[in-house]
Amino acid sequence: MATDVKKLIVSIPTHLKIPEGGVIDSCEVDGEQPQLPTGGWRLLRSVIDQEKCTKCLTCWLGCPEPCIHLTDDRGVYIDLKYCKGCGICADVCPVKCISRVPESDFKGDVEYMEIPF
Amino acid sequence: MAYHEITTWACGVLQDTNGRDVSKVLGAAAVKEGKDIWIIDNYADLPDRVNVPVRKYCKISDEKIKERFLFENHHPDIVVLMEDVYAKGFNILRGSPDGVVLIVNTNKDFDFILDMIPDSNPDKKKLSKIAVVDATSVAPGIDRDIMDIEGAEGSSEIGKGIGACMAAVTAKVTGIVSVDNVMDVVVNKEAAKKALEMVKVKEL
Amino acid sequence: MPKKFLPGLSAVAKAAVQADVDVISSYPIRPYTGLMIELSEHVANGTLDAEFVHGEGEHAQLAIVHGAALAGARAMTGSSGVGVTYAMEVYSPISGDRVCPQMVIADRTLDPPGDFGQEHTDAMSTKDQGWILGWAASPQEAYDNTLLFYRIGEDRSVMLPQMNCQDGYFVSHIADWVELGEQSQVDEFLPPYDNPKPLDPLKPVQHGPQIYAEMGPALEATRYNAIWNARDIIEKATKEFGDIFGRKRDPFHELYQMEDAEIAIFIQGCHSITAKYAIDDLRKKGVKIGLIRPRFVRPFATPELEDICGKLKAIAVVETNNSFGASGYAGQLTPEVCAAMVRAKNVPKLVSFFGGMGGHPIRISQFEYLAEKLAKAAKGQAEKEVHWLDLECEIEM
Repeated sequence: MATDVKKLIVSIPTHLKIPEGGVIDSCEVDGEQPQLPTGGWRLLRSVIDQEKCTKCLTCWLGCPEPCIHLTDDRGVYIDLKYCKGCGICADVCPVKCISRVPESDFKGDVEYMEIPF
Repeated sequence: MAYHEITTWACGVLQDTNGRDVSKVLGAAAVKEGKDIWIIDNYADLPDRVNVPVRKYCKISDEKIKERFLFENHHPDIVVLMEDVYAKGFNILRGSPDGVVLIVNTNKDFDFILDMIPDSNPDKKKLSKIAVVDATSVAPGIDRDIMDIEGAEGSSEIGKGIGACMAAVTAKVTGIVSVDNVMDVVVNKEAAKKALEMVKVKEL
Repeated sequence: MPKKFLPGLSAVAKAAVQADVDVISSYPIRPYTGLMIELSEHVANGTLDAEFVHGEGEHAQLAIVHGAALAGARAMTGSSGVGVTYAMEVYSPISGDRVCPQMVIADRTLDPPGDFGQEHTDAMSTKDQGWILGWAASPQEAYDNTLLFYRIGEDRSVMLPQMNCQDGYFVSHIADWVELGEQSQVDEFLPPYDNPKPLDPLKPVQHGPQIYAEMGPALEATRYNAIWNARDIIEKATKEFGDIFGRKRDPFHELYQMEDAEIAIFIQGCHSITAKYAIDDLRKKGVKIGLIRPRFVRPFATPELEDICGKLKAIAVVETNNSFGASGYAGQLTPEVCAAMVRAKNVPKLVSFFGGMGGHPIRISQFEYLAEKLAKAAKGQAEKEVHWLDLECEIEM
């Protein structure tokens, strides 16, 4: 009796399901993928002194993620949910108004993750 | 039967060697006492990226460890943090059993570190002991290094930097291996001794 | 010699230094990169006198060792995962030219997506190219295989390149006790590489000329004869290795508790070590189960398997590789085992299992599930032809 090949089709448990080909939707929001808030990686935080800041946005040009934003009420600010703390902004600022402070001096401002990735 | 799983969280590339040294030093000391060990780095953490949190694993057991081909420590009962901020961003106590011990390299006090873990995390109640030591202040530049050989044996001299301090502190706080055996195995004995004097422990 | 606690790649590097490799060609891909990093340290320190050439890609790597071996040098290279398939063009010319470099492969799943786990599909895809292909299950065996494969491949009656494979991450990165040999023992076991017609400006030769179709069968037949001559050399070399180094082993298969076994597990690679613990537990419950671990995929040890299978009621083939649409409804090992069984005295029942796919670990409880299904098949009540261990067993991590 020949094998019934239809019985070979495997059923995949729901918690292991993965989209076909491993293709996932890209995010439309600014910053990294919303599923990966990488703020927890940060060891040194960049703090902008709003008095000295000239809003030239050189820091925004240098930021590898688009983590720096400019609004009327907050001025130039850094999105702490995604900032990884690389320090390029402090390096390129022409008026040197960005200082590097250890992240462990602050409480909160980081999205808590169950597993790192 | 004594069976311990030790997970070390370190910073990618710059603390890669030191993180692995914690596992290697504890493992070498355990081998001297006739125990079976299992040492590996987390494979998917991609440790060649600077400042990424990476994890290093070690298992120490009196009996032979049967399942050797696993990716990680699923139930760590000792967690060592080389950078204190990782307690703020990640669930470092995930999967831990009751009685987990937390050892942190920080210049802050116990309550500051405990506040970093949210109360809504059910694993927080399983903490039995927390130890803090400011190992970074033992010597300048002790906690930064160049990455060692990726996965291969590397140098046979272990415990040159902050890894020696954290391993010695772990041995003293948890008692899984004797501190004398740890001091025999490490290269930088002064740093380890200084860290042992500075450690503070709190039972919970 | 005292034992050292080494991962698999480190053990291979130490064997390469003792075997005095002449040319090394590198290109980074995780997980085998650790081998090249360690060898480069040896070359820089002066402990190994070798030419270290960095290629622009895996195809370039293989072309470099091809040229080096043609000139008479003992060559070593390596790769993993998609790197192995990138160099696919060069495997057949190296084998056909009858030169003997060694390629150290630490397995990795093929893309997509980027998975650092291990599956055997990358090296198994090259099994038709004419290389000697074998797997090591532990760092000790990886050290032994490096020396053994050079000895087998460089023998004058064989003259074929070799692939020294091990599971990526599980064997290549996790350390275990390894007993190294003395340099005098290695020199006694491994004679220097002797290419009969090397590239020499004073005695020019031509490699890979154009031929007519009528010369084709004879050329193929010489290589066919060579790979089957390799069987005698494998037996002889393994026996010599046991005499010199003290570690005796069966040349083609590792058999565990097969003397009175009625059902058996056929598994390749490191998960066989976990399987042995499961078999110990099952034997205490009275199940007559054994384990067969093949050391070579090419040349496949068909005659031995015909004998072994003739005494069994059922056999489980554990596949950590895939060949979509293969005969036997499973991966690449099932058709090989079937061809052995078809000539056996009596044919056992066959069930295939996909285990450890994507680099997922196989736990002891999954082997007990496997034994349960196999025992049912031995009585003629098989549920399915193929089971997926990773998707069917609910394992608490």
